[in-house]
Amino acid sequence: MTAIVECKGITKHYRQGSIDVPALRGVDLAIEKGDFASLAGPSGSGKTTLLNIVGGLDRPTEGTISIDGQDLTALDNEELADLRLRKIGFVFQAYNLIPVLSAVENVEFTQQLMNVPAKERRERAKEMLHQVGLDGMENRRPSRLSGGQQQRVAVARALASRPSIVLADEPTANLDTKTAEDLITLMSDLNERYGVTFLMATHDDRVISRTRRHIVIADGRVASDELRPAEMAV
Amino acid sequence: MLVGLAWRNIWRQPHRTALSLSSIAIAGTITVFLLALQQGAYGTMKESVLKLMDGFAQLQPPGYADDPDIRKSISDSGPLIADLVSLPEVTAATPRAASYAILSNGPQSYGAAIVGIDPAREVKVSNLASTITRGRYLQPGDEDAVVIGAGLARNLKLNPGDSVTMLGSAQDGSIAADILKVTGIFSTGSPALDRQVVEMPLVHFQQDFAMNGSINLIAVSGEHLSTINAAIPSLEKIARRNDLVARDWTQLEPALHDVILLDGSFSALLYVSLVIIVVFIILNTLLMSVLERTREFGMLMAIGMKPRQIGRMVWLELLFLAGSGSAIAIAAGSAITAWAATQGIPFPGAEALFSQWNMPSTLYPQLTLLSATAGPLAILVAVAIAGFIPYARVRRLEPVTAMRSA
Repeated sequence: MTAIVECKGITKHYRQGSIDVPALRGVDLAIEKGDFASLAGPSGSGKTTLLNIVGGLDRPTEGTISIDGQDLTALDNEELADLRLRKIGFVFQAYNLIPVLSAVENVEFTQQLMNVPAKERRERAKEMLHQVGLDGMENRRPSRLSGGQQQRVAVARALASRPSIVLADEPTANLDTKTAEDLITLMSDLNERYGVTFLMATHDDRVISRTRRHIVIADGRVASDELRPAEMAV
Repeated sequence: MLVGLAWRNIWRQPHRTALSLSSIAIAGTITVFLLALQQGAYGTMKESVLKLMDGFAQLQPPGYADDPDIRKSISDSGPLIADLVSLPEVTAATPRAASYAILSNGPQSYGAAIVGIDPAREVKVSNLASTITRGRYLQPGDEDAVVIGAGLARNLKLNPGDSVTMLGSAQDGSIAADILKVTGIFSTGSPALDRQVVEMPLVHFQQDFAMNGSINLIAVSGEHLSTINAAIPSLEKIARRNDLVARDWTQLEPALHDVILLDGSFSALLYVSLVIIVVFIILNTLLMSVLERTREFGMLMAIGMKPRQIGRMVWLELLFLAGSGSAIAIAAGSAITAWAATQGIPFPGAEALFSQWNMPSTLYPQLTLLSATAGPLAILVAVAIAGFIPYARVRRLEPVTAMRSA
């Protein structure tokens, strides 16, 4: 297996007034290509902090993090933005689509940032929307899509730039049971059929039970990292 | 990409955008109209004053303006006038001679500026003839005739048909004395002019003041003041050839020039204040919008948009707002001004004030490229510069902090 993400000795401290609050206390973690992994833990355990550091949104206080062998701690803000654009797909809890763009334009957006030619990016965006089951809804703006549909658009957008890894932060938190199940199934299918690597920070047992790798963070450390055979993931 | 996104973003809050656009459009329209009115008023003021006596430019002997000595003269003015009227911008040129003298009627004596004019040519340069209130203006063939200002006529108790005694100093130092007949009394509205100026036929003046056919200056007129202003280099060339100097309107009426400059400065302060107020309104609106969208900016950074790209997008939003508002201002301001230019803007009660400058009490805005665009473009440029503030604020955003904002 090839490690896409490698975290070594990651610590992260926040300042709250004069108090130094440790959020991560020496995390060593490797995410392999094709992983379908959940990152679980109680609130305040550090899972979102770790996800942000893996995604290049935040910097560790100590330690190193690399994606596809590229050391993130050596990059400046502009280079980090470029890395996020090309190597990482994000799915957030609150859908986070661009409200003034239609579904297909939202999916195209990251490709536009990468200067993909118009025809090619439109075709790819439509294909992505087809894969997430949103045929016929290409021209709807987010306000005319349900929460589940918006989250599917977010997944399509995350995949459109063909990233090395998709990071999802509580992707099902705002969805009802059926819609959440559908979304998990979708991401699982994409993982199985296309080998897309997923790392999802979640509280949701429905998500945790469907992932093949289950990482638990507690008190800023990896408390357990359990690999389950595919047939055990329900 | 940024352009399309910025344009759509400004229409997220249509009411807010409409209000911002209205602020820019109304302020811009006001600047278009006021600037046009100001230009129109200045134009009317300048032409009214200059057409009364000065003409739009003059050729004089060197030093004559500072010391109008009758001995500073032009001896052979015929070819010079022919040269001047051959210029395409010049419609007329008229010779004048001038001196000071004492005018007496019975026990009353007053000093006056006596101007010798060529009646046939003078009416093409000066509209003093149109201010005659009693009697008539000078005509070709008149000899010992004078037209006299209403104030001086009142002081000397003169009426048309009366005689007045003139006593002055001729060019050769002899006494210039004559008895002249008042043919007309003019009232220009300018008390200084009406108390001091007397015109008489040039030929008779030259005889009385021993001028030997010489004159003191040539006044020049054209279709508009602006055409003569454009011809000043040509006038200067002719003047230099004849050892004379050309004087433009600012030198002929320095007080008027100063008044216009002063008024322009005060008006500029008003316009600048207006622009600053508009910029603050628009900037405040956009900063509010930036604040509301901080979380979204965090998301955009997360998915790979660079802070400078987001900053540029916000700047573009500001430019779209200011550009659209300015375009509306130019269109609306020009339409209103064009309409007002045909109707005129009456200023009832200002007749006395305006008459000092021989101006009518109805002013006509002058719609020019400058008046139509200066105000709106100033707003656009000021907003564009102010746009650096939200741009800088967005550039400083960090993705995680931004995404955590409410």
